[in-house]
Amino acid sequence: MKNDRKRTFMMITIPVLVLFFVFNTLPLIKGFMYSFTNFKGYGSYDFVGLRNYIDLFQDARVGKSYLFTFKFALVGTLIVNVLSLIMALALNNKIRFKSALRGIYFIPNILGGLVIGYIFGFIFTYILPAAGKAAGIGFLSNSWLSSTKWAWFAIVVVAAWQSIAMNTIIYISGLQTVPEDVYEAGSIDGATGWTKFKSLTFPLIMPFFSINMVLCMKNFLMAFDQIVALTNGGPAQSTESISYLIYKNGMDGGQFGFQSANAVLFFVVIVLISVFQLTVLGKKEEQL
Amino acid sequence: MINKKRAASGLAAVLAAAGLGLLLGGCGNGSDNGKVQIEMVHYKPEAVKAFEEMEKKFNETHDDIELKISSPKDAMTVLKTRFIKEDAPDIIGIGGDVNFSNFVDSDMLADISDFEGLSSIKQAYLDIDKNLEFIPMDGVYAVPYVANAAGILYNREMFEENNWEIPTTWDEFITLLDTIQASGQQPLYFGFKDTWTCLAPWNAMACDLAPADVCQQVNRGETTFAEEYRELSEKIIQLLPYAQADPYAYSYNDACTAFARGESAMYCIGSYAVPQILSVNPEMDIDSFVFPANDNADEQLLNSGVDLQFSVMKDCENKEAAYEVLNFLLEDETVQIYLNDQNAVPCKEGSFTLPSMLDGMKEYIEAGKMVDYQDHYYPAEMSVDALIQTYLMEGDTDAFLENFDVQWIRYNRDLIRKVQDYEAKHGSN
Repeated sequence: MKNDRKRTFMMITIPVLVLFFVFNTLPLIKGFMYSFTNFKGYGSYDFVGLRNYIDLFQDARVGKSYLFTFKFALVGTLIVNVLSLIMALALNNKIRFKSALRGIYFIPNILGGLVIGYIFGFIFTYILPAAGKAAGIGFLSNSWLSSTKWAWFAIVVVAAWQSIAMNTIIYISGLQTVPEDVYEAGSIDGATGWTKFKSLTFPLIMPFFSINMVLCMKNFLMAFDQIVALTNGGPAQSTESISYLIYKNGMDGGQFGFQSANAVLFFVVIVLISVFQLTVLGKKEEQL
Repeated sequence: MINKKRAASGLAAVLAAAGLGLLLGGCGNGSDNGKVQIEMVHYKPEAVKAFEEMEKKFNETHDDIELKISSPKDAMTVLKTRFIKEDAPDIIGIGGDVNFSNFVDSDMLADISDFEGLSSIKQAYLDIDKNLEFIPMDGVYAVPYVANAAGILYNREMFEENNWEIPTTWDEFITLLDTIQASGQQPLYFGFKDTWTCLAPWNAMACDLAPADVCQQVNRGETTFAEEYRELSEKIIQLLPYAQADPYAYSYNDACTAFARGESAMYCIGSYAVPQILSVNPEMDIDSFVFPANDNADEQLLNSGVDLQFSVMKDCENKEAAYEVLNFLLEDETVQIYLNDQNAVPCKEGSFTLPSMLDGMKEYIEAGKMVDYQDHYYPAEMSVDALIQTYLMEGDTDAFLENFDVQWIRYNRDLIRKVQDYEAKHGSN
């Protein structure tokens, strides 16, 4: 009986494992191999040893893209988590049209990143400057997307607008796991408002906070489609994220080998960040 | 009980295997009807109608060959991705630019010097293609099909109404810009949000202000960009005050639309923009002139390059059939289909009617006073367009030129070594 069960599980696992290996692990290994070559993506190539990795640390454009991506991801994660937590608290109350509102706020998540990007592109280029001029607000009267100072923030706005939906849902489900009797006990001790949130609600939804932080950070670090639709990395290369640079110069430009090295480095960086987040935030989680 | 479980697990395994088989099966090449299949991929999605017409005509007149033409958007990325998958088409239609140089250098393209149709192509364009080879190769690797020309497009109606004259020198050009601006109209419109459009004035002005082979010279270590591009850099930035405010907010489409609606008198772009402009305003009367970037009208050259050329891939299994397709494409009637659709300049000898928007450039085209685009020599990953955009925004000429030289060496390291090896072996000529 026991062996049988084991075999069943193996039968289920092996095909998935094969699929995973063929479509995930194998490309990863191949990419790792290419990262030691000057492969252009086609034709003949030579092995160049560690040159690509040494270059990575000397390339100003790569450095800029890492700085941009981290700035973008930190600010984005912060904004998304604060706003979606507020939204979740609001939508978890006994308000009218609660289900309808939850549905409406989830729509951005269903729309494709490119569609949203193009619509916001139009808003930033034409509508917002017109409104800014009419209202006499200086920093609004030019397109944000054409300014090296503001373009990154325009992308944060669009990316945040889209990802708040998912995070809100996760927070709402978190809030629903908090048992009512905890609040009752708290109210006897006089916990209301901010104290109630700080001492009761937040510690109890901490696991949801950590998963949201990790997911959100990872998504923002991999930002790609919003950038393609909004700025294409411009103006003056100020909004090139790491994934965008890898795609653009690896596929379109002839840097397949070099950008493979970049991808390997980026993979390591993301793993490190996720492990760090999980260990630090995991320690703070409370169990009832 | 046990049997049931076993059956269930067996079924799961079979299903999973079938799923895997389906997924992998999708990669294979299907269907065969006895005909030789020739697949062509080209990078001119805007000419999709012309190509559909050609494809139909070819397949109607040929029983043994089936031609399939695809016109993907962003074809260069599609092509390169297919090369990575080792699934190359038979014929590719690309521009005479650095991608072509790279494909030749990577030994991707077949030598077609035995193709008879080459004799009908204007020598000037074959030379332009020859110059694109990083190190001189034996053989011919592309059939130049049509060329484009870049300079300044202008609104003929606006010019006639205001009695503005076509400038022939840089000073006259600046005076004209001042005149137009003083009359309360917009002289120029830029779509610099699409960084590549920064290259349009850059290339056109470079014809007069920098040696045509400056990139090769730098690769051989004979000069620097800081030296050769200084005047060009200083002049291009002088154009900005004559364009709309914040040109980095508007894309190529925006600029074409604005020019089509008469919001600016001139638009510094190539003839390839004409179809797009006419799609907004079909009635518009557009003409062009050569960019007057220096002070001697006789020394000015037209910026013209091969806009579309066909190459047979080395992996092509049926070269005969591919040649048959090329022969068909080069028939006068087929060329005319393309010209009518795209307002292009044919590379083939013969009496084709040039589109009226090239009136101002005609004499240069006929006399062969042409220089290729500078950016056809720039590696795509260096993103020179973005460097120029950065420079236009920041305005620091010294920093820009210094950075240009540094970046050039960084991105062309392998190539420079190759060229210098070649020079050492063959001696400089």
